[in-house]
Amino acid sequence: MTNEKKSLWKNVVELPGNFWRSIFRNPLPSSDRERAATSFTNFFLHIQPVRVNKRTLKPTTTFGLGLISFYLFIILTLTGILLMFYYVPSTTQAYDRMLDLRSSVAFGIILRNLHRWAAHAMVAVVFLHMCRVFLTGSYKPPREFNWIVGVVLFILTLFSSFTGYLLPWDQLAFWAITVGTSIAGYAPFIGKMLKFMLLGDVTVGQEALLRFYVLHVVVLPVVLITFVGVHFWRIRKDGGLAKPEVEDEPKAITAPVAAPVAVSAEGGRKFTVQGLVRGAFVKVGVLDEDTVFSWPNLLIAELAVLMFTVAVLMVVSYFFNAPLEHPVNVMHPPNPAKAPWYFLGLQEQVSYSAFWGGVGVPALELLLLVLVPYIDRGKEGIGVWFSRKRFLANLLFLIFVVINVFLIIVGTFFRGANWQFVSPF
Amino acid sequence: MASRPDETGGQQISRRGFLGWVSGAGIVGSFAAGALSTYVFLKPRVTYGEPNKFLIGRPEDFPSGARMAIDTRRVCIVREGNKIAAISTTCTHLGCIVAPSPVGFACPCHGSHFDVDGNVTGGPAPKALAWYKVSLTPSGELEVDKDNEIQIGSYLTV
Repeated sequence: MTNEKKSLWKNVVELPGNFWRSIFRNPLPSSDRERAATSFTNFFLHIQPVRVNKRTLKPTTTFGLGLISFYLFIILTLTGILLMFYYVPSTTQAYDRMLDLRSSVAFGIILRNLHRWAAHAMVAVVFLHMCRVFLTGSYKPPREFNWIVGVVLFILTLFSSFTGYLLPWDQLAFWAITVGTSIAGYAPFIGKMLKFMLLGDVTVGQEALLRFYVLHVVVLPVVLITFVGVHFWRIRKDGGLAKPEVEDEPKAITAPVAAPVAVSAEGGRKFTVQGLVRGAFVKVGVLDEDTVFSWPNLLIAELAVLMFTVAVLMVVSYFFNAPLEHPVNVMHPPNPAKAPWYFLGLQEQVSYSAFWGGVGVPALELLLLVLVPYIDRGKEGIGVWFSRKRFLANLLFLIFVVINVFLIIVGTFFRGANWQFVSPF
Repeated sequence: MASRPDETGGQQISRRGFLGWVSGAGIVGSFAAGALSTYVFLKPRVTYGEPNKFLIGRPEDFPSGARMAIDTRRVCIVREGNKIAAISTTCTHLGCIVAPSPVGFACPCHGSHFDVDGNVTGGPAPKALAWYKVSLTPSGELEVDKDNEIQIGSYLTV
């Protein structure tokens, strides 16, 4: 009896510590073994490798563009969920709710600004991330499929942004979507049907607003998260960032992590690193000298990028308000009526030929993007910016980028009433 | 695995192979049926927008020489003498509303131009503006039917 009482008291006293240790299986790591254990016994950290190449941590290797895209998506999800609490996808209420965000919702303005600017930024950053992957030749085997997943993510990003564009139900939104969905209508065979399914009607109206809302807040985010998961998983399975070939044999050291790593909980399972990773791309037992432990090196780098992203976005959202034009007037298109900026290159093309500019050329460009890693299979110049050995591939890609950016600039700044050429100066 | 020779020398499918095929077909079929049902569900059977057949007023509301654009209906009523026609004001390019101009119609979105009859005179529009059937109802009012496209230059004589 006294023994039971004693142990009960002891348990109560030790409860906070036991509770803490049941959540975090490892103490703050002080040895290499614990650093490794921290990485792969934590649900949120186990997506990362235990050790990471020093090159990966160098800012100029990737400029953190993929990570920034991911953070922007997280910010968009959080601000988006908050905005949903005050938004109604109705043609009679949506615009008023925009005004309410400005006038009577606490932090309404900053939330909408954050959401709007993060959406624009995500389109741009995802594209820049794609440029980085191409210009460093990082789409080559074994990473071909992850490049395709990336192209799909880019398209999903565009659609997420496009569907969100309609929701404020102002003139900008209405006519941008009218023009944008008409472009879809030019697709051969399925175009008319596609447009009708997307709008739920023959013109942009209540049905379209509801459909775009559902796509924007449920369907596209869920699909996007799934593909992001696959994208991250494949990065690990394909051996991390693309590395340049090493001329000499890599200097190998005997790795302490090859020994069994015990999880600190008493009687916990023991596993070896061999039991956790396999495949041709992870060297077990032999580690390059130029790798460091992910805890804390990678973690600090990631937090730094997060702070940078949030800081820039907050400053922009503080100084610049998201645009809100007049409420929808179905009878009076603004002149000129322009699609969202990332589709203005498309709209510029469309002004020359509706089919080729809106459907033919973009479809061809997308097809080429998807096929790139299967056409260009050379093994040289991987993991280096602007490798001389990839001169032709990089040149062609840069031409593609410059043409599209040029068309967007022309569409944005040099087109006035009736889509006439005007000078912005 | 799926087949073995029977007594007559022909190929006979094993029970396991047969069940495998049937299950496979069932699973693929279920997915196809699911996809098809989803499509049927998402394709609206009724729409809530403007009806495509509507009255626009009496013939005397439109004096000779009138070119009156009814933006809510996206048609322009044209009267020359005793001839009346309804020309679409939806641009054939990307669906913007064209505005009547001194020489016909002009689109604000991508700069398409049309003559007074709706024929393309410039810009990216791929075809001429549609003409809709206009009829006189027994009550003496004009009715436009946007589901009924007619040839350019066909007027209703009143």
